[in-house]
Amino acid sequence: MSDTSRSVVSDSPPLAQPLYAPIKRRSFFMYAGATAGATALALVGCSKESDPVVTDGPTSLGAGDVGVLNYAYALEQLEAAFYAKVKASTVAGFTADETAYFADISDHEAIHRDFLKAAISRDFSGRLLPELTFNFDTIDFTKRVKAASDTKLGVLDAAKAFEDLGVAAYNGAGKLLKVPAYLVIAGQIVSVEARHVAYIRNLLVPGSFAADDQVEPASGLDKTLSPTEVIAIAQAFVVQQLDASSVGQ
Amino acid sequence: MKLISLLDHLAAAPADQSAAPRRAVLRQVGSAALAALPLGLGASLPAAADTKDTSYDAVTQLLLLERLQRALYTRALAAPGLIPLTQLADFQRLRLHQDQHVAFLTEALQAAGAIVPTEPAFDFSGRRGVVTNPVLFPNVLSNFDDFLALAQQLEDLGVRLYKTQAFNITNDSQLLKAVLRIHAVEAQHSAHVRSLRRGRGVAVKNWPSDTDAAIVRPAAAQVLTTAATGGEENPIQNLKAGMPIPFANFLLIRDNTAVRDSALSEAFDEPLTTTVAQAALNLFV
Repeated sequence: MSDTSRSVVSDSPPLAQPLYAPIKRRSFFMYAGATAGATALALVGCSKESDPVVTDGPTSLGAGDVGVLNYAYALEQLEAAFYAKVKASTVAGFTADETAYFADISDHEAIHRDFLKAAISRDFSGRLLPELTFNFDTIDFTKRVKAASDTKLGVLDAAKAFEDLGVAAYNGAGKLLKVPAYLVIAGQIVSVEARHVAYIRNLLVPGSFAADDQVEPASGLDKTLSPTEVIAIAQAFVVQQLDASSVGQ
Repeated sequence: MKLISLLDHLAAAPADQSAAPRRAVLRQVGSAALAALPLGLGASLPAAADTKDTSYDAVTQLLLLERLQRALYTRALAAPGLIPLTQLADFQRLRLHQDQHVAFLTEALQAAGAIVPTEPAFDFSGRRGVVTNPVLFPNVLSNFDDFLALAQQLEDLGVRLYKTQAFNITNDSQLLKAVLRIHAVEAQHSAHVRSLRRGRGVAVKNWPSDTDAAIVRPAAAQVLTTAATGGEENPIQNLKAGMPIPFANFLLIRDNTAVRDSALSEAFDEPLTTTVAQAALNLFV
């Protein structure tokens, strides 16, 4: 991005925007709409490093709220791609119930991905993270669960890893969002992800929902990870190098 | 995209700010700012205040919810033979988490110098402590299926209420982060209780779905169902009354598979109003 000033929506409009009570009683699309209007009110110059731009180096997710939204979008792309591949595979040992539930989850993640894409495109025009490509070579999509002798993850192992990561990511990113409306949207998505986690964990080990490696035993609070911690883990499956260092900053 | 201009146009409409002055002061509550306020602000706010839209209101309402859930699991674990042996550990874990959440929210109030409300006596029959009132929730502590149905609704209510109240405490980053982490735990609880019910033959998914079998309640208890899942079944999100979002155009589904209407409603959990939540919680107080 050049130094020439141009008007774009702000990453972090002041909290004093009139977004509160009247709006939060409506549906989540209302928040998104209201936010677009509110942010449009605060026109500022865009900072040099806040755009996701593909260059020779890592792809930055961006700064401020658009960075957080791109971060969520990257994770939803990852999950959606994974479950689409599960849906297209024949997993040995999957029950009819499990096949149907994984198809459900696949739909949810595709909807999350496309919702975020549309929201970012609308509120932060030109700053959408590009579509990512993924490498799932370490996952055996024909196996339900990894056997001790296997080198690749089974579908349930990978699903648990992705869902755990996604929930911990949303848990850590919520407070980075400056616009409350985005917080509500993130909340509407993360609780569905948390339901996925509980479902998949119980398939692996009955009764292992909300176990101590997911919910801190001392506090009863769910696990949380920072954007850079999450991307470091997710990077193993993403072909493009991602840089989450400015997310929410 | 046409939709976007619609949304922007809508957002440009003036917002109703009638409640803003009160909020501008009270939303500071929950941060250290409270100690500096004259008078005991907590004392000036009755526990059943009409609006629950300040951070003090938010934390006290969440505390009421957590205490209610803790009481339900405590009594259920104490009821002989109610919970099958194989599920005892599950409900001990649920009870532990609710206990921890109660402690956390209590500490948050104390740290802010706010008054911690006294824990009410809960009545899970829905008679509100009056024996001549009709029973709204029969056999909750004697029949496992009835217990699970109530547990599911309270957990679903919790997921939605945390979503709403997170919105009211954005002025306190640390509190917000913790509340979001509790929110995710409630969702896992709900998903598990839903699993247990499905294992016992009830048509119910781990996430609220329009394919879930309805939990039938008497009219006087309907507000609980409204608070737990009301609106979740609707795949249509309105821009405003009578103007639905054109999902088919909006979503850019690329996987060459038709996405079901029910998936659209399942993919997002909904918040609920604090008023509806309070009405539902009041059924047990």
